[in-house]
Amino acid sequence: MNIKLRIAAAAIATLSAASPALAAEVKKVGLAMPNLQADFFNQIKLGVENYTKELGIELIVVDAKNDTATQVSQVQDMMTQGIDAFIYIPAGAAAAAVPTRLARAEGIPVINVDRQPDGAPGDTFIAGESVESAYQVCKYIIEKAGGKGKMAIIHGQKGTTPEVLRFEGCKRAIDENPDVELVAQQYSQMWSPDEGFNIAQNMLQANPDLKIIFGQADALAMGAAKATDVAGMSDQVIIGGYDGDIAALEYLAKCDGPFIVTATQSTQLMGRLAVDSAIKVAAGEKVEERQTPNAVLTPCEDARQYVEKHP
Amino acid sequence: MTATQTLRQEKSSLREAFSFSGATGPLIGLLLLCVFLTVMTDSFLSFRNFLNILDQITVLGIMAVGMTLVILIGGIDLSVGSVMALAMMVLGYLNVEAGMPMIIAITGALLVAGLAGAISGFLITEFKVPAFIATLAMMSIARGLANMITDGSQIIGFPAWFNMSAIIRYGGFLTLTVAVMLAVFVIAILFQRYRAGGRMLYAIGGNPEVARLAGINVKRTTILVYTSCALLSGLAGILLAARLDSVQPSSGVAYELDAIAAVVIGGTSLSGGTGGIGGTIIGVLIIGVLRNGLNLLNVSPFLQAVIIGLVIVLAVAAETFKHRKS
Repeated sequence: MNIKLRIAAAAIATLSAASPALAAEVKKVGLAMPNLQADFFNQIKLGVENYTKELGIELIVVDAKNDTATQVSQVQDMMTQGIDAFIYIPAGAAAAAVPTRLARAEGIPVINVDRQPDGAPGDTFIAGESVESAYQVCKYIIEKAGGKGKMAIIHGQKGTTPEVLRFEGCKRAIDENPDVELVAQQYSQMWSPDEGFNIAQNMLQANPDLKIIFGQADALAMGAAKATDVAGMSDQVIIGGYDGDIAALEYLAKCDGPFIVTATQSTQLMGRLAVDSAIKVAAGEKVEERQTPNAVLTPCEDARQYVEKHP
Repeated sequence: MTATQTLRQEKSSLREAFSFSGATGPLIGLLLLCVFLTVMTDSFLSFRNFLNILDQITVLGIMAVGMTLVILIGGIDLSVGSVMALAMMVLGYLNVEAGMPMIIAITGALLVAGLAGAISGFLITEFKVPAFIATLAMMSIARGLANMITDGSQIIGFPAWFNMSAIIRYGGFLTLTVAVMLAVFVIAILFQRYRAGGRMLYAIGGNPEVARLAGINVKRTTILVYTSCALLSGLAGILLAARLDSVQPSSGVAYELDAIAAVVIGGTSLSGGTGGIGGTIIGVLIIGVLRNGLNLLNVSPFLQAVIIGLVIVLAVAAETFKHRKS
């Protein structure tokens, strides 16, 4: 009996799903994450999660584990569940435009966070201002190193929006200091600490007189710091990171190690902004095409306050 | 002894050829899973969701068919994911960067993939490199080459119809990519059931030496099997490129494990000689339905990984248990 009822209900749900949603109210939000292993994304997820709970909105979260094909499948599944708004952080560099097209076909708002696919923009794009903040981080570590010496950069996943912009900002700081020589650059696939460790270890091996390392994400910088410790070079090397991950802020708060500065992104705020934007777009209100919550330069002396309350 | 063995082999391969007998367990599992999801969710049992699942299994489905052939002869191919990525990058390079027509780009991609498989097969038969090692090496080489084509960057900018072939449902039902997958399924089943070549795979998997004495050209067949498997990976890559409207060298990481899982869930033994395409198709459907269903149930991504692992264990354990009883 129960099964029959369920089947009937399913049939009705299918029928009603065919007619376009007229109500502009957002009751169910889909959130497509590229990779929950990265704390940065996890923080955004927490921001969305807490805020939707406050507002009484149902939330569906999927994690693509960095695989674009998986993400497309997951987004298809979300559409069948009848979401009213779609918060989309593309997985992988190709930033497939397909999920955006799928959501457009349903006529629901698309909110991009952190990354934006080429050629298929969402209704708004929420991302930290990467260029200026990366410039500040690199400027800070170069100053601390006395404005000269050999420098290396550990990039994020090649071609992703943050990778490109953070390099652009950091490059500006390097160009302003002619005595700084950029001797090594490597790309990571997953922005993960173990990659940062391996890459930094090789860089230190190849350049024993390396003085400055910029890791494009805190996880990379943390890995690099560990590699520097292992190589016994922590007195000579200065490392900067990016994102303001919890683990990194806790490390920084001790102010004891080669990794001394990061740019803390307002990840929780980004999550809230995304939900607010989704509600506004659904209601037919205008939202800014680009929203940029600021990242704050966080030298280790300032890290404690963010550990206690993450922005 | 050997004669009776071949006889038994022949008998079981005949039985395999005319029924899903080896795959009844997985089939029941699949049906139970569908019933469960129908009861638990409102959105599972719908035509649209069914089409979505078909869309979602195209890549895995085609790859798993190739993997079945390899596993049937007692081999393994760890390079399918990397070869797929290589084919995708060749496709993107030829079509977008070099501006060649799509038909040439597709041919080129398939050729490169096929060549990779032929090399693996050659290493296995002529240099007696264990299949595990030969394809492990190819996995690394193909991934490296795929990255070298664009120095690790993605390629976008395919013609519009290419992506549309994965989106437009002809007759309200078939996307071009799903149609290709179904065609591969049908051809593979027909080959396995009605062609001598299909039987040969079972004979080689059962006992390569006996197969050789029976007049089967084991070396040639083995090379052809690895070539076909790689060709199918290349084909899967082209379909994936259409689905994503882009190619990137990091695609397909660990897809070989999904393909092997689908084959094993479908009841094909990793030691070769038993099982078949029919079971694999069911294995692919189980994985596809499971992933889709867990998403619909809103199961946390972390728990999903655990559940999929458990299902693999369950499927294999059930199969082993059945064998021991019989």
